[in-house]
Amino acid sequence: MIDVDIDQRLGTFHLAVRFSADAPIVGLFGRSGAGKTSVINAIAGITTPARGQICIGGVSLFDAAKGINLPPEERRVGYVFQDALLFPHMDVRSNLLYGQKLRSPEDRFIDEARVVELLGLDAMLRRKPNTLSGGEKQRVAIGRALLAQPRILLMDEPLAALDVPRKTEILDYIERLRDELSIPIVYVSHSVAEISRLADTVVILSDGKCVAVGDVDEVMGRLDLRPATGRYEAGSLIETKVAAHHVEDQLTTLAFDGGELFVPQVDASIGERVRARIRARDVSLATQRPEGISILNVLAGCITAVDAGAGPIVDVQLAVGGATLNARITRRSLQQLGIHVGQNVYALVKAVSLDQRSVGYA
Amino acid sequence: MRSLCCLLCSMALVCFAAGSATGAYAADAMVFAAASLKEAMDDQARQFEAGTGNKVTIVYGASNALAKQIEAGAPADIFLSADREWMDYLDQRHLLAPGTRYSLLRNTLVLIAPASSKSTLKIGPNFALAAALGQGKLAMANPDSVPAGKYGKAALEKLGVWSGVEKQVARAENVRAALVLVARGEAPFGIAYSTDALADKGVRVVDTFPPDSHPAIVYPAAAIATAKSSAAKLLLDYLRSSAARPVWEKYGFGMVQ
Amino acid sequence: MLGISPDEVGILALSLRVAAVSVICSLPLAILVAYGLARFSFPGKTLVDAIVHLPLVLPPVVVGFALLLLLGKHGPVGSVLDEWFGIVFAFRWTGAALASALMGFPLMVRAIRLSLEAIDQRIEIAARTLGGSRLWVFASITLPLALPGIITGTLLSFARGLGEFGATITFVSNIPGETQTLPLAIYTFTQVPGGDALALRLSVIAVVLSLVALATSEWLTRRSQRMQGNDRR
Repeated sequence: MIDVDIDQRLGTFHLAVRFSADAPIVGLFGRSGAGKTSVINAIAGITTPARGQICIGGVSLFDAAKGINLPPEERRVGYVFQDALLFPHMDVRSNLLYGQKLRSPEDRFIDEARVVELLGLDAMLRRKPNTLSGGEKQRVAIGRALLAQPRILLMDEPLAALDVPRKTEILDYIERLRDELSIPIVYVSHSVAEISRLADTVVILSDGKCVAVGDVDEVMGRLDLRPATGRYEAGSLIETKVAAHHVEDQLTTLAFDGGELFVPQVDASIGERVRARIRARDVSLATQRPEGISILNVLAGCITAVDAGAGPIVDVQLAVGGATLNARITRRSLQQLGIHVGQNVYALVKAVSLDQRSVGYA
Repeated sequence: MRSLCCLLCSMALVCFAAGSATGAYAADAMVFAAASLKEAMDDQARQFEAGTGNKVTIVYGASNALAKQIEAGAPADIFLSADREWMDYLDQRHLLAPGTRYSLLRNTLVLIAPASSKSTLKIGPNFALAAALGQGKLAMANPDSVPAGKYGKAALEKLGVWSGVEKQVARAENVRAALVLVARGEAPFGIAYSTDALADKGVRVVDTFPPDSHPAIVYPAAAIATAKSSAAKLLLDYLRSSAARPVWEKYGFGMVQ
Repeated sequence: MLGISPDEVGILALSLRVAAVSVICSLPLAILVAYGLARFSFPGKTLVDAIVHLPLVLPPVVVGFALLLLLGKHGPVGSVLDEWFGIVFAFRWTGAALASALMGFPLMVRAIRLSLEAIDQRIEIAARTLGGSRLWVFASITLPLALPGIITGTLLSFARGLGEFGATITFVSNIPGETQTLPLAIYTFTQVPGGDALALRLSVIAVVLSLVALATSEWLTRRSQRMQGNDRR
């Protein structure tokens, strides 16, 4: 349970954030400069807000009115920084154990062996940080924060400094953390893909204020939040279950109440719950069921909203069974096809566009 | 972390060991002696140590510098000055142990030149020192404060030569520094004690200053008021005893008695 | 020619002791001052910085004279120290150590400060989030990372202290066996007839010592930099 209600001035930037969230992973999403890092710095105790309270798991870390302001070393908040910030003069093992040595034994709920196994650090223990790759450093940073026995883990854009293969690698590890440990995580990112894949609840920040809190698939799809979530990466999330694997051409079928989706083979078992993220710009619309076309995913749906706005591009929202899909088309097509609310249309999604990055485990 | 602790511990140990050495000096008697006494006093000290087993440390320097250091609290037991004035200086400030002062030695003032010099200059009223110097320097201890320099200036003034050579004087910190300048050939002439010329083979005596051209050169000796060691009293007595005479005479000093 | 007499060994030992004590005693203060100058801004900081650097630019004789005035037996600080604690600096090797310490202090502070400023402070913040108190972070993170600068500063100050002359001779005089350090001994022997050979021998020793100190500083600094990993942002 994370309760934050703070007011803070950082130079000319005014932060006034208030939200409550409770989930294994709480995403903190917003554009660059929205105030995401400022919020977790306040939670960690690195900066002190002018007024308000911060309460994690029922423990009050900061309360201006009552004069409570725990220093960072007493908050038991694990912080994973964007650039790892490992101690260069210690080897990996000493880095890992730095925080653990400072905690009393009765506070310990996770041990070195578990963390090493969870994050695959065994081969690195004697190495120095400057010999590690970016991904390896980040894993050590996560391990180090965990071994400090935190009551909550804060991750500040941990994948930002990594290249794509490393991002995927670390994402897998974070999902393992979420599934195998019971530590709540606050995950800061400006990447829709990451938030969609990892978070259950998301807090959207814009200009230093919290503009929305809610379930990730609901909030991320909302058209009215477009300014905060950013136009380019708009999309929708669909909760599905793995229905079948087609070994012969390496495709998987995902089933949801609006139909079925073909995606390139997904590493999950039949019946497992999986979340698919479909980018709005990968969705085309047709007023008739098309034939002789390579697109495998043709879903029947009904238009629920049209965001005309200005410019040549428009966003359209449609209901496909119980799920919501966002489509992005040209204004010309909108007019030529006569798209309007209530209309029955077909949404076309290329299987190819639903790659590994788009499919995450719920 | 452990290495840091080790470093701190060893540092503390060193400081403790060092700090514990704030006790008395190693020597039994500390002598502040005029620079011109170097070889003679070293020899006397050796004899004294051999005879009594007391260790002697000697600090040599210009008498004026030594007197000022004693005034500032320097831990001298005995002071051997090259003139009476600097002993009076301490006496007036009640820094001498009463009843211990006496006149110990005599000396003569000479004009010196590098050993290779062929000069046949003779000292007399208005003698041609300036001409002999030419462009070169006259090496002297500081004529304003150091005994050897004061004697030298007095002599040159009496002989009417001072104003002619005043601007060419190379002032040295003490008489031995002046001696070295001449020995190295940096100055064609210099003024020092006859005992200094005896000590340094690099110089030769050109001529001796007439004794009436300057105040009598007398070396007083005294114990300092703060002196605590009995060895100092012993040494003071030894220096004017007949046992010490041979050494003084060996180095060219005359004893007052 | 190569044989070193017991007297010379004594002079050398005294010099090394004076320089070592001066460095060891001034190191904690230098670290404190360097930390204050590197991490904080406060009114009068420029003045403090200037005062720290003063011995570097003042004539050493001035420093020695100031010490004599203040810490001499009759000086305001010196008389108090003597009467109440029995601590005497004037005309003692402790005074020589003090003079050396003062003259080498700016070099020490400069080197340590540079090292501290090069540390990414976010690493210290990370250590605090892991549970380290300010003091613990200073001891376990800041000091080890500043080690190259500390080593350099220490050895530079040591070499400078070994060669200190003007302040030493003015403050503690030239007492053989007590304050006659290497430079003072060389100076004395230049005034002794026939003392040139000895002065030369001691000078060579002085040069060798300084070279060894500088080379050691280089080697240790590079070694500790390697131990820390060189990827610093």
